[in-house]
Amino acid sequence: MTSAPSPFVRAALDAAAALPGTGIAWLDAARRENLDAFAAGGLPESREEAWKYTPLRALAQRGLALADREAAAALAVDAARLALPGVDGDRVVFVDGTFRADLSSLTGATGVSLEPLAAALARNPEPLRFALANRYRHGAADAFAHLNAGLAVDGLVLRVADGVAATKPVHVVHASSGTQPDTSWHVRLLIEVGKDASVDVIEHYVTLGDAKQLGTVVSDIVVRENGRLGFVLLQDASSATTLVRRNHARLDAGAAATVHALELGGALVRHELQAELNGDGARFDSRGVFALAGRQHVDTQLEVRHQARDTSSDALWRGIADGRSRGVFRGAIVVAEGADGTDASLSNKNLLLSGQAEIDTKPELEIYADEVKAAHGATIGQLDERSLFYLRSRGIPLVQARSLLTLAFCRAALESLPNEALRDHLGELLVAHLPTGPAAE
Amino acid sequence: MNESENMTREVAAPVRDNAEVEAALNRRYEAGFVTDIESTSLPPGLSEDIVRQLSAIKGEPEWMTEWRLAAYRHWLTMPEPDWAKLDIAPIDYQGVSYYSAPKAGPKSLDEVDPKLLETYEKLGVPLHERAKLAGVAVDAVFDSVSVGTTFRKELAEAGVIFCSMSEAIREHGDLVREYLGSVVPVGDNYFAALNSAVFSDGSFVFIPKGVRCPMELSTYFRINAMNTGQFERTLIVAEDDSYVSYLEGCTAPMRDENQLHAAVVELVALERAQIKYSTVQNWYPGDENGVGGIYNFVTKRGDCRGADSKISWTQVETGSAITWKYPSCVLRGDRSVGEFYSVALTHHRQQADTGTKMIHIGKGTKSKIVAKGISAGRSSNSYRGLVKIEKGADGARNYTQCDSLLIGKKCGAHTFPYMEVKNPGAIVEHEATTSKISDDQLFYCLSRGIGEEDAVSMIVDGFCKQVFRELPMEFAVEAKKLLEVSLEGAVG
Repeated sequence: MTSAPSPFVRAALDAAAALPGTGIAWLDAARRENLDAFAAGGLPESREEAWKYTPLRALAQRGLALADREAAAALAVDAARLALPGVDGDRVVFVDGTFRADLSSLTGATGVSLEPLAAALARNPEPLRFALANRYRHGAADAFAHLNAGLAVDGLVLRVADGVAATKPVHVVHASSGTQPDTSWHVRLLIEVGKDASVDVIEHYVTLGDAKQLGTVVSDIVVRENGRLGFVLLQDASSATTLVRRNHARLDAGAAATVHALELGGALVRHELQAELNGDGARFDSRGVFALAGRQHVDTQLEVRHQARDTSSDALWRGIADGRSRGVFRGAIVVAEGADGTDASLSNKNLLLSGQAEIDTKPELEIYADEVKAAHGATIGQLDERSLFYLRSRGIPLVQARSLLTLAFCRAALESLPNEALRDHLGELLVAHLPTGPAAE
Repeated sequence: MNESENMTREVAAPVRDNAEVEAALNRRYEAGFVTDIESTSLPPGLSEDIVRQLSAIKGEPEWMTEWRLAAYRHWLTMPEPDWAKLDIAPIDYQGVSYYSAPKAGPKSLDEVDPKLLETYEKLGVPLHERAKLAGVAVDAVFDSVSVGTTFRKELAEAGVIFCSMSEAIREHGDLVREYLGSVVPVGDNYFAALNSAVFSDGSFVFIPKGVRCPMELSTYFRINAMNTGQFERTLIVAEDDSYVSYLEGCTAPMRDENQLHAAVVELVALERAQIKYSTVQNWYPGDENGVGGIYNFVTKRGDCRGADSKISWTQVETGSAITWKYPSCVLRGDRSVGEFYSVALTHHRQQADTGTKMIHIGKGTKSKIVAKGISAGRSSNSYRGLVKIEKGADGARNYTQCDSLLIGKKCGAHTFPYMEVKNPGAIVEHEATTSKISDDQLFYCLSRGIGEEDAVSMIVDGFCKQVFRELPMEFAVEAKKLLEVSLEGAVG
């Protein structure tokens, strides 16, 4: 455990030492504390339960410098490349973790405040103190959360005032430049949806070049009483990009959050989606699809904690693994003592399309209350032979029949997305990623 | 914390002030009597000397002693596992006596201490006369030594070897040597290594080619002496085309301190052989405050070595303060089948972390898991299972169903299934639910004039039916009764 730090840890500490102080005593202290915690624990190992299926041995051997902020600020980027259909509101763009005002538009409709983290800190750091100096509530031992807290100098603060229903979605783009090999970047997002307020946020991951990079993004999300958050995650990074992301949402009474996630790219991707239902009647729904090929490794860790009465959650995740890829899914439902009236369900279905691919899934139930309805189901299998035969008997070629059935398999996860234009676009992206050949044979 | 407690109180059903319930709550563990017989024990503690001494007492051959020592040395290097969802008070391995045997060494059943036989009478084990009536051959293990084996002759005629492990080591050394540790290697896990070093007795079953064992074989375990651990070792080998059904029951007297039980069971099924292994575990669970009780750390594993073989585990776990047990199947042979049927009930402060592993290696292998967990009182009950499909397991199939029933506000029910699939021709399905006893069902029963206790036990019985169906008749009756007794005082 306490052997010599890996190249990864050493490089991260060197990078941190080179960072200028913020001039805010509590923030510098918090960073130091997080880096100390990171250095003490190092990168998680496979024998740790939470990382059982995602080995980081290769990553631990890579010493990554911080991506150069000036180069990131100067990189020419075609803004049109970042646009998404159906997403026409404000856009916030980060290139290698550096906020790019020239690519962003922060008009901030009435009641919606959008501010880059660095700017917000420079203006008035005190309101952010609780979020940034506070230690992580659970998963405090997670190395990447500490790393992100120690190294993220920029990010976004999004606040929707009480009673405000934002009409246009906020588009947050995380672009890996792909021009700074063996570097890492880190972004921190703080999102607060006020009482009776509502907003849609699209988190969008892209890669612009071919160089290998690591990005970490940690979002702290709070939805106040009766607030509503629609969250879409589109991850379409290149196969050179490693991403470790954590979305942690806390929901107050009557609040509702819905997440739609589509994971298409990335070399090694870890996505932790955590929801705490802290107020009575809160609701959290999550839907997601991953479609993997090549040597991709995508690990989704969903954890829903029911900590108040009459809370509900529903999760529907689909996975496809082809080539030599590996898909990992953990879906935990935790019902705390006293969280009576909880209604929780989770479904995770996977298609394994290749003899070299692997799927590891682990739905979990942890229940400490008795007035509870909780269920989960998980399957791993193939396309139904009879359905394939039926389509082929109607003259549809095998390749197309496979693709149709695979799309149908994933559809349930995306069809509840209300933004129609975006939904169609996600569907098209998915189709383009689906294996076209009879790869299973 | 306070907040959630208040909430709990608000919705809790009105507590019934019923003398009957009170009485039932305080009902004693029925098998909790101590038999007063003289016994020889090794002094508490564990060292190479103790292992040697133990081996010498048992008159074991050199290879066995060395085997034990190797296990002991390996055990010393291992850390205690802490991954299970169990809260275990530190175990003092040096405070345990690793061997205890009734003093007067029994030569045959007729010489067995009458007090001992009485114990079995009380437990309802048909050891002597009753054995014949029930048609069950029993190998009873009292503390650490097998006291007598019934039905030897009848079995010998069929060619079946059914004897204590000590005897098997002496008389069937080659067979034991070939198979012992071949399913659960000495260093498999912490408790298996400990068992390998100090196991004192157990059962050995060998079913030769083509033989269908003419009767159901049975072992009854009982921990009697104070401060002793029981480390039994069972090995069942079924040769090609054979069949055997094996039953195992366990009890222990009531004591304030925790007692350690670390058993290893190994099953080997060769081509087309079938082994059916049923357990009713009723070790002393500790009292309602969690004082005393057996720590039950068991490694059970079956190896479907031959094609078309089948191993089926059925367990009813109602006892023990702590249960840590994962009967598994290694499906090596093509088209081999593994099954796991389990009912685990926890009450008061009991903790159970139990489940199974199905490792699919051969082509066309199938496995089925049905696990029912019932938690009451302040207990914690977890299902933990692994279904692993290796690359070569074309056409493998698994179906898993885990249901949990919660009775009370302070208990926990958890499900941790792992699915690892490396073959695209495999189909793996898992389903799990958790709920409390449905108010509708309860109301229906009450409206028919059935009392609440009876209604609950009926509903629980129905909930477990799928598993009980797999048990041999006598055991199914016992299991049902056990469940009723264990659940008394859980409602209200």
